[in-house]
Amino acid sequence: MRHLGLKARMAVVGSILFAFYAVAAVVVMAVFDWPLALVLIGSVAFVGVQYKLGKWMALRSVGAEDLPEERAPDLHRRVESLSRDMGIDKPRLMIASMGVPNAFAVGRKGAGTVVVSQELLRTLDDAEVEGVLAHELAHIRNRDVVMMVLGQGVASIVAIVAQWAVLLTGDNDIADFFLAIVVGQLTQMLVMLFVFAISRYREYVADGDAADAIGTGEPLARALEKISRGAERRESTVDDQAAALCIFGDRGGLASLLSTHPPVEKRIERLRG
Amino acid sequence: MVDARTLLAAALGLLLGAVCLVAPGAVVRVQTAGRRPTGRDGKYGTDAVPNRWRRLVQVVGVGLVVAGAYFGYLALG
Repeated sequence: MRHLGLKARMAVVGSILFAFYAVAAVVVMAVFDWPLALVLIGSVAFVGVQYKLGKWMALRSVGAEDLPEERAPDLHRRVESLSRDMGIDKPRLMIASMGVPNAFAVGRKGAGTVVVSQELLRTLDDAEVEGVLAHELAHIRNRDVVMMVLGQGVASIVAIVAQWAVLLTGDNDIADFFLAIVVGQLTQMLVMLFVFAISRYREYVADGDAADAIGTGEPLARALEKISRGAERRESTVDDQAAALCIFGDRGGLASLLSTHPPVEKRIERLRG
Repeated sequence: MVDARTLLAAALGLLLGAVCLVAPGAVVRVQTAGRRPTGRDGKYGTDAVPNRWRRLVQVVGVGLVVAGAYFGYLALG
């Protein structure tokens, strides 16, 4: 059975998210007198809009453009071959000028899109680019994007319901409005703790799948190493002033619990392990 | 008499303000996960958040701490 560890973790996190959602649904049914069907339809519509809007916004935020086959025949051939090996339809391939080496996947299995930055193609050699592409294709195959949108959708619904519960039970004074906003934000954070825990594990799974698809984890490990070294160099010259503004830094403790990705060093270690 | 809801607003406001000041990147990630691509500040393979976003969240954090202190003063003062 493939990805048994992931399935077991998904069962646990899925149950926790369902419990949060069920409480929110019961509150909505009790307070607004909505039938269950309306709550379910509303929830599906909410998550559906988030999915569509999120995909559109992600592509638009980086100014992604279609990468025609005649402009990058080699890249298209590699994506086609990797997609075949991984048992998915070839995704739409797009390119963007992001100012930094980057790549990401949006969409779902059968309707996925992979965006690569021009800087990524300039920074990495062919084997490293293939490692990155295989990792992004693994995200599409494992439905990681959909899972993140679904998790964010549940967290948003629970947060909105918590916010309204505070507002409707209060005196509508300024302290109640403040309390409602704060409770909404803290509730969303609490739910996202579980979503992020599974997301970090999914990154390792996508790394492992990429290594399986190309036969070795070394190219992806090299790519991660090269990009993170480049980012460190940029940070050390540009961000000293910014770092001084960070009171306790943004690593470790709560920050690492609220991370979508595991530390790069650990990923490289596993890819080479 | 101490108003419990105002006191709760103060306590939770201070808590959220502290989170915004200590871990601004985490706050941004909670809002943007599944909505925006990661690695935008040049760290592909990570979910690092651009510094200007972190600073903005820290400014919001200061506002929350001030508001929390104000509601604390109202509830207990």
